[in-house]
Amino acid sequence: MTVKSKQAPAEPGQGLTFLRKHLLLIIGAAAGIIATFFITNTMFDGSFEKMTGTPTWQNILLVNLLVGTCILLFVVELKRQAIRVLLTVIVALLLGFLVTFIFNLDSADRFGSGEFRVQVVSEAEPSENGEVDLEYNKRRGGHFNKPNVVAPVSEIAWTFAGAEGDVVSLLAYAKNRRSEVDVLVELRDASGATLASATSATQLQVDETFDDLVSVRDAVIADYSLPAAGVYTLYARPEDIETSTVLSEALSQSQLAFEALLLGPIERVNRWGVWIQDAITLILLGMSFAIVFRAQQFSLGAEGQLYFGALVSGIIALNFSNVPGILLIPFIILASATAGFVYGLIPGALKAYLNANELVSTLMLNVIATRFFEMVLNFQLKPADAGYVASEKFGPNAILPVIVENTQVTIAVFVLAVVVVISWLLIRRTPLGYEIRIIGSNLRFADYGGVNSKRTIMLVMAIGGIVAGLAGMHLANGIHRQLILNISFALAFEGVVVALLARLNVLVVPFTGLLYAYLRAGAQFMERDANVSFEVVRMIQAIIILLITAEALVSFFQARQKRADIDESGHSLDSLEDDDV
Amino acid sequence: MGVLAMFDNVIEGIFSAAFLFAILRVTTPILLPSLGALISEKAGVLNIGLEGMMLSSAFTGVVVSAYAQDWFGPETGVTVGPWLGLLLGVCVSLLLSFVLALFHLDLNGDLFLSGIALNIFGSSATVAIMFELTGDRGNTSTLASLQMPFVRLPEFISQIPIIGPGFYEVFDNQSVMTWLAFIGVFVVSFFLYRMPIGMHLRAVGENPEAAASVGINVKRIRYMALLISGFFAGLGGIHMGMGYLQLFQRDMTNGRGFIALVTPSLGGGTPAGTMVASLVFGFFDALGIRIGSLEIPSQLPQSIPYFATVLALVIYALQRRISQRVTEMRTASGAAFDAAFWSSIQRVSILHMLLMMIAVIGVVTGVSMLSAPNGFGGAETAVPIGLLIGVASIALFVAGLPFVRDIFSIQRHWQASALVTVLSLGIYLTLLLALFFEPPLALALGLALSAVVWLMIGGRVLMRGH
Repeated sequence: MTVKSKQAPAEPGQGLTFLRKHLLLIIGAAAGIIATFFITNTMFDGSFEKMTGTPTWQNILLVNLLVGTCILLFVVELKRQAIRVLLTVIVALLLGFLVTFIFNLDSADRFGSGEFRVQVVSEAEPSENGEVDLEYNKRRGGHFNKPNVVAPVSEIAWTFAGAEGDVVSLLAYAKNRRSEVDVLVELRDASGATLASATSATQLQVDETFDDLVSVRDAVIADYSLPAAGVYTLYARPEDIETSTVLSEALSQSQLAFEALLLGPIERVNRWGVWIQDAITLILLGMSFAIVFRAQQFSLGAEGQLYFGALVSGIIALNFSNVPGILLIPFIILASATAGFVYGLIPGALKAYLNANELVSTLMLNVIATRFFEMVLNFQLKPADAGYVASEKFGPNAILPVIVENTQVTIAVFVLAVVVVISWLLIRRTPLGYEIRIIGSNLRFADYGGVNSKRTIMLVMAIGGIVAGLAGMHLANGIHRQLILNISFALAFEGVVVALLARLNVLVVPFTGLLYAYLRAGAQFMERDANVSFEVVRMIQAIIILLITAEALVSFFQARQKRADIDESGHSLDSLEDDDV
Repeated sequence: MGVLAMFDNVIEGIFSAAFLFAILRVTTPILLPSLGALISEKAGVLNIGLEGMMLSSAFTGVVVSAYAQDWFGPETGVTVGPWLGLLLGVCVSLLLSFVLALFHLDLNGDLFLSGIALNIFGSSATVAIMFELTGDRGNTSTLASLQMPFVRLPEFISQIPIIGPGFYEVFDNQSVMTWLAFIGVFVVSFFLYRMPIGMHLRAVGENPEAAASVGINVKRIRYMALLISGFFAGLGGIHMGMGYLQLFQRDMTNGRGFIALVTPSLGGGTPAGTMVASLVFGFFDALGIRIGSLEIPSQLPQSIPYFATVLALVIYALQRRISQRVTEMRTASGAAFDAAFWSSIQRVSILHMLLMMIAVIGVVTGVSMLSAPNGFGGAETAVPIGLLIGVASIALFVAGLPFVRDIFSIQRHWQASALVTVLSLGIYLTLLLALFFEPPLALALGLALSAVVWLMIGGRVLMRGH
């Protein structure tokens, strides 16, 4: 929606720039359209009927178009920087893959441990011998080499007696389908010499001949006719795992995990909904940080502002549930924005008029807001008979209207679009935005230039608070639909990453938010489908921040740059901002 | 009356040896990283990544101590395990701080953001590895991890008359990490103020260009400072995982790494001040734990240190402004400057600020009682008391405001200033004294005491000055 207005200020007269801008626009538009098509295609398995058969499919398409627009904006706004952002994400993902691979090095262990059984199958009469362990056609074992037991039995030798010419089949097999142990079996005579051995079974044996077999990993010595009467030994143990198996298993498990990570969020409509709803929160938080960081204010107050926004909108939702939604929802939105504004004003005023370190004060105010939220929730909003700390469910009027069925994708999408446009107008097209950018690039210059920097610093932190308050409203009234403990789920710091990846450009934040939410949603499905911890993605996040912030990294690898004389001790985000002030 | 009885109960608990013991115990994981933060701050490279370093070291310590019993056999493992865990945990923390230093000092990465990255890394990597090792993502309770040894004091100390028994009860059986933390205060003090390298470190923090111009290797000093802060964060993490608990919980540091960033500035940038500030946080932490069993929401006392920190920042800023003002006046008026008079005015203004700080906490208490009355014994008791506390605190705050904004108003309206000070201090003292005396007597005593305090602090000079 903001695409056209973005393209308006193309400088005339500079043909080359003009062409390049168009080139960028074309590349961006192509990337956006391809992404929109790809996402929609994957969601509906490429079937047009399936799409039109899904309820509210038009809205899904609309949201996907917005996703495409975000990609267009990303390309057009960041220009060559976009490549660096993408490269960083790819490098971090590769490192994440490495971590996953290392974590999965034990995945071949399941072949080496697990319960298995043995059996001697024969149609001959059992020999009478009281001193042997096995009789024909009797299952034995079951606790061999079981993980998590004190003394696992890793190998076993059972004796059985047979007459000359008895045709026997020796089986060693996993106890049940959960046990994936890969066993071998040997037949030894009384002197201990191995007469026959086997490490696997054929598919035919598994399917038809022997009912007990589970898979081809089981071992079968089929139809062996005993050379003489006497006592024989059945020896069985899990096969040794070869290094190549370990590596290939780890690789295939990691591939499985990364497939879930990279394609999971667009497999089905409900998974797609998880992605989009998460993205809305992250984009709002990222916007909040981008606006504040733009003025070189290291305020981390978004978390506290989020809690306040959520608390206020939650209280309104609980108390005015019989007001019609058309009045209630705008009221809730306004109230949460106001709550965020007020809570952002506090550190802003402290910083502007008292020069109190905003990093410290916002961190403290975050904790205060969280505790206050907990206290009110625990003692005032929690129903007396509730088993866990949460408020009552909100009434239907107070819940943001859903626009895609079976998901929690709500009209917050449109709220978000409005926020993006307004923030862009604010930063790029208003005097206040100009002041914010001037302060961000050089505070002293701003002061000399007659900017009321105190007022601006205070306002910029409060404006950041508005957006964070809206994020709280979205969490409370859009996603959880009640107030719960830890409603933010430590999302605030992730908002920092979103803002930084976007290089503090409010038009790029939607893309980076979507990207990051995609990874987060993918991580959930990775954990569910491939048993790789969700936290791997947070490690990837940490790597992304480190790589993005290390400005010298590129030149460090290119050549041994001259040592910086004395680096500035202060924090500097200058290099992260795009230059077109 | 129920509220008063509750208050009584809390005060009684505070003056017990067990409570002091608890304070020392919960202060340790704040004090250790605070010392690290102090050193890094002195070198001008504030280590934001303390939280992540603490988590990594706590986790490493717990895991190593658990596996040490497998490696060395149960008998040697139990003695060696904790110390090996401490060693490797601190090593991991050092490694992370090295990464931070590398990215900031050599790769020109932003210190603040790299620190946040390390925090995220510490929090996520510990959980991810824990999930791999134990299959649990909440805590490591399935691992038989060990505990750092406790220090027993010799028995005869408890025989010393008067102070002996109490002293013994407070200090006996504390974790060795607690002792290390408080010894660390002296070590850091010695390091910063008595060793050449400590001087260099402070010089680098105050003015890197000047330090470089006299031949100090700024980068090397900052590397060292970050590594030392990582070392202390590592020790703090070890106390979290093996000092009192014997397990690792996800995100168990719970913001202590961030509190540690604040305590040095709250403590005036000295090791001793940092220790006192940490003890203040420890006090409120312990109070929160204790109050948890009473009918007060534990969130209220738990959030008081955070309020105190914000207010301390404000007071610090205001105070700096006032000193500047006075210095300017001193230069302007030369020999005619009445130093004693103005320094007492400064002291009175600080008293005003402290009283307003208490008033803000009163406002917060009032607001809490009004917004969650069920937590304070129901709406009937909580609302009127909350209103009373809130309104009274706001009144006292507003009354003090003009004197804090402009110190000349203390000079001009010294009677009003005196009235406000004596009245508000008197009210707070009365509340405290009401526990021991009858209310009227307490009021009289409180007012008298506060008048004495005002006179001592500078009232005499002010009265004489007019």
